[in-house]
Amino acid sequence: MIDFGFSVSPSSRINLDNADKEKFARLAIAEPDVLKCMACGSCTASCTAGAFEDTSLRRAILSLQNGLSDDASKLLSHCMLCGKCTMVCPRGINTRHLILSIQKIYSL
Amino acid sequence: MKNNILVIGGGPAGLEASSILSRMGYNVILAEKEKLLGGHLAKWDRLFPDQVPAKEVLNDMLGRMDGVKCFTETKVNSINLLENSYNAMLSNGITVLADAVLLASGFDLFKAEKKEEYGYGIYEGVLTNADLEKAFQEGKKSSPAPRAIGFVHCVGSRDEKAGNPACSKVCCATAVKQAIETKELYPEADVYCFYMDLRMFGRHYEDLYLRAQKSGIRFIRGRVSEVAETAEGRLLVKAEDTLSSKPLKVTLDRLVLMAGMRPSKTGHDVGRQLNLSIEDDGFFSAKDGLQNLQKSKLPGFFYAGACTGPKTLPDTLHEARSAAMEIDRYIKENFRK
Amino acid sequence: MIHLLSATVHQITPEGIIDRYPNSYNHFVLPFVIGITFILIYLFIGLIRILYHLSGEDRIKLLKSLFNPKTAWKNIKDIFCDCLLHTKIWKRKPLLGYMHSAIAFGWFLLIVVGHIEVWLFAPRHLSGLTEGSLYYPIFYRFFIWINPAHETLRGSVFFFIMDFLLLYVLSGIGLAMFKRVRSIALGMRHTTKPSLADRIALYCLWLIFPLRLLAEGFTADLSGGGFLTRPLNWVFRAFFGNELNFLPTWWAYSICLGLFFIAMPFSRYMHILTEPLLILFRNAGLKVRHPRKGFAEAEIYACSSCGLCLDACPMNAQKKNLKYSSVYFIRFLRRHNKKKTKEIAEKCLMCGKCYALCPVGVNSPAIRRAIRETQNNSINCNYSYLDTYAGKAAEVLSDKTRGKILYFAGCMSHLTPKIIKSMETILQASGQEYEFMDRNEGICCGRPLMLAGRTDAARKTIEANTKIIKDSGCTILLLSCPICLKIFKEEYSLKGIEVIHYTQFIDRLIKEGKLKVSKSSSAIVYHDPCELGRGCGIYEEPRNVLRAVAELKKASKEKDESICCGYSLGTLTLDEKDKAKIAESSVSSLMAEDPEEIVTACPMCYRAIRSKAEVPVKDFAEIVCERIENNDKN
Repeated sequence: MIDFGFSVSPSSRINLDNADKEKFARLAIAEPDVLKCMACGSCTASCTAGAFEDTSLRRAILSLQNGLSDDASKLLSHCMLCGKCTMVCPRGINTRHLILSIQKIYSL
Repeated sequence: MKNNILVIGGGPAGLEASSILSRMGYNVILAEKEKLLGGHLAKWDRLFPDQVPAKEVLNDMLGRMDGVKCFTETKVNSINLLENSYNAMLSNGITVLADAVLLASGFDLFKAEKKEEYGYGIYEGVLTNADLEKAFQEGKKSSPAPRAIGFVHCVGSRDEKAGNPACSKVCCATAVKQAIETKELYPEADVYCFYMDLRMFGRHYEDLYLRAQKSGIRFIRGRVSEVAETAEGRLLVKAEDTLSSKPLKVTLDRLVLMAGMRPSKTGHDVGRQLNLSIEDDGFFSAKDGLQNLQKSKLPGFFYAGACTGPKTLPDTLHEARSAAMEIDRYIKENFRK
Repeated sequence: MIHLLSATVHQITPEGIIDRYPNSYNHFVLPFVIGITFILIYLFIGLIRILYHLSGEDRIKLLKSLFNPKTAWKNIKDIFCDCLLHTKIWKRKPLLGYMHSAIAFGWFLLIVVGHIEVWLFAPRHLSGLTEGSLYYPIFYRFFIWINPAHETLRGSVFFFIMDFLLLYVLSGIGLAMFKRVRSIALGMRHTTKPSLADRIALYCLWLIFPLRLLAEGFTADLSGGGFLTRPLNWVFRAFFGNELNFLPTWWAYSICLGLFFIAMPFSRYMHILTEPLLILFRNAGLKVRHPRKGFAEAEIYACSSCGLCLDACPMNAQKKNLKYSSVYFIRFLRRHNKKKTKEIAEKCLMCGKCYALCPVGVNSPAIRRAIRETQNNSINCNYSYLDTYAGKAAEVLSDKTRGKILYFAGCMSHLTPKIIKSMETILQASGQEYEFMDRNEGICCGRPLMLAGRTDAARKTIEANTKIIKDSGCTILLLSCPICLKIFKEEYSLKGIEVIHYTQFIDRLIKEGKLKVSKSSSAIVYHDPCELGRGCGIYEEPRNVLRAVAELKKASKEKDESICCGYSLGTLTLDEKDKAKIAESSVSSLMAEDPEEIVTACPMCYRAIRSKAEVPVKDFAEIVCERIENNDKN
C-alpha cells in the first residue's frame, strides 16, 4: 500500500491497538465490575440524564475498551449519580462507583 | 417380585420415565401434586419450533401410562433412606417402600411481579408467557384488537437482582413462537421482541426466527428497563436500542413477560429431607455434569428433567429415557444377583 | 508515728489540721505534676489549633453562641448530662449508663468536693502555685495531720462524702473490668479492640482508684477518714503493726495519675476533655467542612471509642465488615491513615445509625462525606441542559399548578410504579388538586450527588429544581421518596412552600377527614427508612396511619435503631453480596413478631426488602390505597 504520509479524512475505524490497556487495567482494579457488562442497555434506558442528553454507561464502557476515552467521558459528563442504573443492572454492577472511577481515572 | 420405583412429579419427565420403567417390568408409583398430569406442558397451547399442539404430545404420553400407579394431588410428605431402599410417606396416606426414586420435580415459573418495574400485577396490559398460552388455549381474542404488543425476553433470567444469573434456555424460542402466533391473531398489530441476546440454538429455531422477521416482527436488542402508564391507560415502555445506541420508548397495549425457570419449590422440599446438594442457581447438582447427569450423590436416587436446570422438552424427554436406563442398571446390579 | 514526729509542725488551723511537711511537698507528687502539666499544655495547644482551623465565619458563630443565654444554658445542660451523667447511654442501656456515669460523675465530684474541702480547711493551698495548689487538693490526705481530739462534725461529713464518692467510682471501675470479660452483660455484643495507648490509659484508670483507696487507707489514722478508709487502716495496722510504710502506695497512685495524663492524648480517654468542646461547637451550629481539621478534629478527639457503633452498624451482619465501623474510622482518622479512611468512607451506607446512637454525638457520616468531597467534588460535569429543561418545565407547570400541590416522585420511584399509582389514587380519592412534576422526565434531587461528595454538582441540580418548583406557584411540595425529602429539607430554600413526605401528608388527610380508611385485622410491621427516620425524624406519622389500617407489630430494632435495608445510595463501594446480607438482617429484625406483611415508605427499601422477605412487602401508599373507604372516589 502506498503511504501518502497524510490522509484525506481521519479513519473512522476503531483501532484496538491504540486502546490504553494500562489505564483500563487500573480501572478494573478500582472497580472490577467494569468487566461484567453484557451490554443489555438497561442503564441507558432508565437513565434520568439520558432523557435530555446523550448519556450511556454501556456505551462508555465499550468506548473505553475501544480506546475512545474522550467519548466515554462525554457520555458520562451529564450523569447525576441518581442510581437508577444500579437498580436495574441485571449483572449487579456497582454503576455509581464505576462512573466515579471512570471520571477520576480518565479525567480530561 | 417386582421392584418398586417411586417417580416424583408427573410432568413430561415423570410421565416418560414412568411409562418406560413400567414396560421394563417395574412397579412404578408416580406422585403428582396437581390435579392433572402433564405439568407445565398441560398449560401450554403449542410448542416451538414446529407449533405442535401440546395436547397431542401430552396425550401420546398419557396413552402409554398403563400399568403405572398414578396418584394426583399427592405430595411426598416425608422420605428417608433405609439400608438400601427409600421409605416415602405420601400425602394421601400411602407409604411406599421404593428401591429407586426418580425426582422429576421440574421447575416453577419465575414470579414476574418480582420485577416491580415491569408492572406485572399493577398494569392490566402486562401478562406472562404462561398467561398468554392460557389465552391461546381458551381461544380468547381481545376486542378491540391491541394495536401494539411487546415481548420481553429474560424476565427473571440472566438477572442477578432476580436471584438467577443463568439463561432459562427456552424463553427466546418461546417468545419468537408466541410473537408469531400473536401476529397471526392480530395481523394489524405492531409486534416487538426486546431481547438481550437471541439464543436460537436448536434445529429449526433459526427458521422460526426468520419466519418472525418475515411476518414483520421487530427485534430490538435491548432490555426493557421501565414500564409506565400513559394518561389513556396504555403502557409506555422504555429500553435502549443498543444497536443504534439510543434510548427508545414505545407505547404498547400488551406487554408479555417471558418468565424464566426457577427450581421447583416442591422439589426442594423433597431434597431438603435427603440433604441433596443444590448449586448456587438453586437447581439440584448431578453427580457430575458429563457422564452422570441422572445420578445424585445418593445410591438409587435419580434426576430427570428441569430439576437439574432449565431444559427444553426434547432434552427433558432424553433425560427421562436415560434415567429409566440408569435405574434399570442400578436395580439389576444391586437387587438381582 | 515516726513520720509525724520527724515532720515540722507547720501550721495549726482552728480545727486542728496540721501540715505534716514543710512547703507541703514530697517527691512522690512529681509524676502527677509532670502528667498534669503535660496534659494542660497539650490541651492549650490543641485548642488553639482547632480554633485556628475553624473558618472565620464559624469562629464568629461560636463566639456569638457563647454569649447567647439560650445556647449558654443548653451548653451547660448538655455538658452536665452528656459528659458527666451520660444520660444518652442510661436511656438505652441502664447498667452501661451507670458504669459510665459512676466513673465520670464520681471522679468529677471527687475533684470538686476535694477542692471544696481544701478550700474550707486549708485555703492557703489554693491561692497560688507556691503552696502546691496544683497537686495539694489531690494528695490532701497525705499532707495533713488531724488531731483526733479536734475532729469536727464538718470534717467528718467530708470524710464520709469523699469515701462515698470513692466507693461510687470504684463500683463503676468494677463494672468496667467486668465488661472487659463479658460485655454482653452490659448490653454490648461487640466491643472495640483497644490500641496500646488505650491499654496503658485503661490499666492506669483501673488502678488509680483502688490505689487511692489503699493510699488513703494507710494514712487514715493521721489524716482522718471515712467508712472505707478508716476500717482499712485498722486492718493494715492489725497486719503490719504501727510501723506503716505508706509512701510506696502514694508513689504508685501518683505514677498512675501521671501516666494516665500522659497517655491520655494518644488514647480514647481524650474524649473526657474534648467532648465539652464538641458540645459548644455543635450548639453553635458549626458543621464539618474539612475531614480532619477544625470541627472534625474536635469530633475525632471526642470519640470515646466505646464501640456502641459496632453493634449499631448494619454492616455487622458480617463479622468481616465490622472493621468499617465508625469507631475504627475515627481511629484511622486520628492516625492520619488516609488509605484506610478513604476505604471506610466509601464503604459506608450513610444510614446514620452510628450517629444516632453515639453517646457523644460524633457525626461520623458527615466526616465521611467530607472525605468523599475531597475525592469527588472536582470531577467535571456538564449540566448545561438542566437550565434549559428547568426553564421549559417551569413554563409548562406555572399556569396550572398555582396554589396546588406539586407531586415529585423522584428518580427511583419510577422503578416502583406501584408507589406512583397508589399515590395518584389517594390524591384523587381525597379530592386534592395536584400536578405531577416528573411524570415523564425530571431532574435528580441532588441527594445522591451530595452523598457521593459532589457538592458543587448537587448545587446545580438543586438550583434547577428550585426554579421549577418556585415558578410553578405550588403551595405544597409532596414527595414520596425519603432520599429526596432529606435534601429538600436540608439544602433547598423554598420559602412559602411546604415540603412534605407522603407519610405525613396521608396522616394529615386522615386526621382532617379527607381520606377515610378502614382497618383490617392483618398484622403488619413498618420498616423505618434511614433517610426518613434518622434523616428527617419522621417516625410517628407513618405509624399513626398504619395503626388506622391494620394491626401494627413491632420490629426487634425500630425507629432510630432500625436496620438499613442495605441498598442505600450512601455507599459507594459495598458490593451486591454484602448488600444482600444486610437486607437479610433487616428483614429478620422486621419478622420478630411474625407479621403477615411488611410496609415501608421508600422505593429503595421497598425493592431491597421485597427481594429478601418471605411475606408480602407493600409500600405505604399501596396499603393505604387498599383500605380507602371514600364513597366519592372521583
